Amino acid sequence: MSGRSTSRVTEALRLLAIAGAVFIAILPLVWVVLASFKTAADVSQMPPRLLFTPTLDNYRSVLDAGFASFFRNSVIITFAAVALSVVLGVPAAYGFSRLRVPALRALLLFVLSVRFVPYIVFAVPLFVIMVRLQLVGSHVGLIFVYILINLPLVVWMMKSFFDDVPTDIDDAAAVDGANRLQSFALVVLPSTAAGVACVTILSFIFTWNEYLLALVLSGRHAQTLPVVLTRFLGGMEDPVRWGLLSASSVVVLAPVVIVTLLVHRYVRAGFGGSTT
Amino acid sequence: MNRSSARSHGSAEREVPVRRSRYDWRATAMFIGPTIVALALVALLPTLWAMFSSLFDWHFHRPQARSFVLFDNYVRLFGDARFLNAMRVTAFYTVVSVVTTLVLGIGLALLTRAPFPGKNAVRALLTIPMIMTPVVSTLVWKTFFFEADLGLVNWVLGLAGIVGPAWTASSPSAIITILVVNIWFMTPFVYLVMDAALEGLPHEVIDAAKIDGAAYWQRVWFVILPMLRATIVFTVIFRITIDARMFEIIHVMTGGGPARDTEVLSLWIYNAALRNFHLGYGNAGGVVLMTLVAATCLVIMLVGLRDLYRRTGSS
Repeated sequence: MSGRSTSRVTEALRLLAIAGAVFIAILPLVWVVLASFKTAADVSQMPPRLLFTPTLDNYRSVLDAGFASFFRNSVIITFAAVALSVVLGVPAAYGFSRLRVPALRALLLFVLSVRFVPYIVFAVPLFVIMVRLQLVGSHVGLIFVYILINLPLVVWMMKSFFDDVPTDIDDAAAVDGANRLQSFALVVLPSTAAGVACVTILSFIFTWNEYLLALVLSGRHAQTLPVVLTRFLGGMEDPVRWGLLSASSVVVLAPVVIVTLLVHRYVRAGFGGSTT
Repeated sequence: MNRSSARSHGSAEREVPVRRSRYDWRATAMFIGPTIVALALVALLPTLWAMFSSLFDWHFHRPQARSFVLFDNYVRLFGDARFLNAMRVTAFYTVVSVVTTLVLGIGLALLTRAPFPGKNAVRALLTIPMIMTPVVSTLVWKTFFFEADLGLVNWVLGLAGIVGPAWTASSPSAIITILVVNIWFMTPFVYLVMDAALEGLPHEVIDAAKIDGAAYWQRVWFVILPMLRATIVFTVIFRITIDARMFEIIHVMTGGGPARDTEVLSLWIYNAALRNFHLGYGNAGGVVLMTLVAATCLVIMLVGLRDLYRRTGSS
């Protein structure tokens, strides 16, 4: 309204602010990726060196330090935990959306309430229980425990996806002689494929990144990457080890960052709707 | 987002052919049963055990010597300076970071509202802080940015002639580092929620206000924010639950130091129950934390949504 030049100035300021936000958002990632290719001499230079001869030495050291086996732990635990939560949670969400469930509200509230309890409250009893069951340090133990993080998310988000599918198609399937299971698996589920992708990706990110439960329950043999990273790099204050720290950080980050950038539409939709 | 669908489901307008029983018992057991059983095992059982054990003087390595003390652990908690400190730190940390992320997140969502070149790329890049492994981002902030001698922050301050502190090792800079990382980590979450919510607002209303001559800030304050109220309330509740359980940023950045200035309740419970192995005492702290979170969220929900539902109910 108030003249072309002012609106052009506002627009420029707006774009500048957005650029600033993006810069701060990605700076740690960019920094650590660059540092992972620097030599020990380059990595501690201030002001930071933007032009340097890249080296792969840090990644070699990460491999030599036996990171591969921890990477394997993380992959096994994450994939199994996500699969378990999706396999349990998606049918449950369908049930909550479609069936005449006794005590429906109470059960839904119970599922949701799990998300509101601080993890440390679960972690202490689970530690004691799992010591008794000799599950500390096993993959199986952590896989089950990660239900805590993922299942409520899967159920609530998938329920809203199922709610958006018109019940007419269930009725049509019923008329054609499909039973509940068939109409779920063959008719309704395929039309919520995007929703399944969405909850799977979110569960993957949360499980891969989880630290507290893994710290308490993974013992010596099931350590996942976030736990290893903090233990194994005790002396990272020493700039000589910054390259190693960066390279192992990049290894931990790569899967989640790549997935997010590839399918960020789903990630955005997921987080946008995740307040339930 | 699916709050409304949950409500409409509760009122059950859908016509379902009535068979023998009111409920689909078999199908319920098949579809929902496994989830409920699984959650009962990994969530309900541990929570009940935590409450139960909080009534005992119970040391992990001396299970035979445990004794029933009723509420003694709770009485002790409220005379324990270290616990009270942890409550203060948690409250301060949660309030500051919830408010800041809310303001920044809504601001960013408003800023990126109108189209501009590269909008999709910007939205993708803005999600990066919250998908990055928190342990890793904290290590990066700690080692490269907040490091006293070679860190980026003190280098930038040095350009302005300021000698920066040993960030993570002194007070009050240590709590600032934690707040900065948490705000950096969580603002994208608020941004994504608000961005989605803004997209869903009825444009006619906002356009009408514009035609009526309302300036941009007036439209934001009197039209857009009131329409976002339910979303804001749920986001605040969600953010509180995330901050109240925050552990990794603090554990990695300061370990609770210096001098317990950054020891939040999660860390206090971890130390009491899993470092010092006082299970009963630590779990009593856990029950207090859980109760505080639930009570705070309930109050915020009741206050925040009160006349909203009355109004929609009457119209």
